[in-house]
Amino acid sequence: MALGADRYATRGDTFVFLVALALSLVAMSLPPGTRDPIASSLRRTVLWPFLQLQSRSEELRTSRALFVQVEAQRDSATLAAGELGEIRSENNRLRALLGLGTRLGSGFVPAEVLHQASPLGPLAVVISVGSKRGVQALAPVVTPDGLLGLVSRAEESTSVVATWANQEFRASGMAADGSVYGILAPHGLEGGAWLLEMSGVPYRLHVPVGTRILTSGLGGVFPRGIPIGTVIGSAGETEWDRTYLIRPAVPPGSVTHVMVLTSSRSDDLRTTFTPDSIRAQQ
Amino acid sequence: MRRGDNLRFWIVIALLVGLEFSVRSHLGDQRIAPDFLLLALLTYTIRSRPGPSAAAGFVVGLISDALSPASFGAGALAHTIVGYLSSWAKAVFFAENLLVNGGLFFAGTWLRNAILVLASGKFSGTQLVWELFVWSPLEGVTTAVAGIVMLVIFRQWLAVRMDES
Repeated sequence: MALGADRYATRGDTFVFLVALALSLVAMSLPPGTRDPIASSLRRTVLWPFLQLQSRSEELRTSRALFVQVEAQRDSATLAAGELGEIRSENNRLRALLGLGTRLGSGFVPAEVLHQASPLGPLAVVISVGSKRGVQALAPVVTPDGLLGLVSRAEESTSVVATWANQEFRASGMAADGSVYGILAPHGLEGGAWLLEMSGVPYRLHVPVGTRILTSGLGGVFPRGIPIGTVIGSAGETEWDRTYLIRPAVPPGSVTHVMVLTSSRSDDLRTTFTPDSIRAQQ
Repeated sequence: MRRGDNLRFWIVIALLVGLEFSVRSHLGDQRIAPDFLLLALLTYTIRSRPGPSAAAGFVVGLISDALSPASFGAGALAHTIVGYLSSWAKAVFFAENLLVNGGLFFAGTWLRNAILVLASGKFSGTQLVWELFVWSPLEGVTTAVAGIVMLVIFRQWLAVRMDES
């Protein structure tokens, strides 16, 4: 039979359509306490093989990238074999590549981000680790560049991460030097890029463009010192306070690997996330 | 439909689903990478009746909602409508050829995204404009191109005509 053979919608077709439409509307109106277990059970049953496939695919990509990196390192090592200093320097650079994991020491779980085709993708993502690996709800999710979001739901082998772009995201932030505090919330798209805004900054205080914004540690969800973004301008002001636009450090649409902080940390992570160039100068 | 045709058709659908979960994340920017799951749905709808197409859309949408849980139910709503309209419109209005099917894939992707963002209520203002007039059309184009390539490769299996009249 050829594609699109002649047929028209019968009453039966219309009935099925209306039932599916009604079920969709019912699904939309379900409270989170009901719909989350449904979504979770789908991920744990029928979608589990597909999520595993995607997870393996991401691992394959990482392995391929590592292979290319190792090849490059080998070539570099061959070229630099005559000069020990060069090899030491290369070694230092490679150590720096190990990056965040080494600096964090313990209390984190690495994970792959399982992106899906949806315009709402940047608001919430599924990652490849869950409670079996110690992930709990409200655990901060970070990359070497900074904060991605927090775990909104931990399942056995996957978790849902509400990113900073999610409308419900809030975090207490501060300037890198601790001089200014404010509340961070998603601002939406501006010029094609997702931005954050920091509100509640006292009117008398100015935050220069380019200032790095970190988590302040207030509120007890995010440890102090995780980079959130950089101030790129003003978003408005009232008689009492100012609001600043923040370019986030981590674009949720392109993140492929993350780390979930599994233990509650009270230490200041500012040095952990310091850019390598600055650390080298120190 | 003969059993062999049926089997080959479902192999193509399974291949598209496999591509969604194995290859898509390697195709660059996720906002514009082709949506193979939607392509599978649209391929199903253009040879099925509107009722089963709506039901298939509901199932695909529910899967999409479970995987991208920002607004549960919006995906089911969007895919149900797209599935039904695609099947109905293909039967009533459209001729059978490659470019028309490509147009259907483009329109289906754009309409799905439009319903999704409007029903979810998560986007507004500039965000909405960018999503509707930049990212969704681009995703529609890549999905349509992927769909046309799929139809060219599997035209014998899917029994699609190649004329452009």
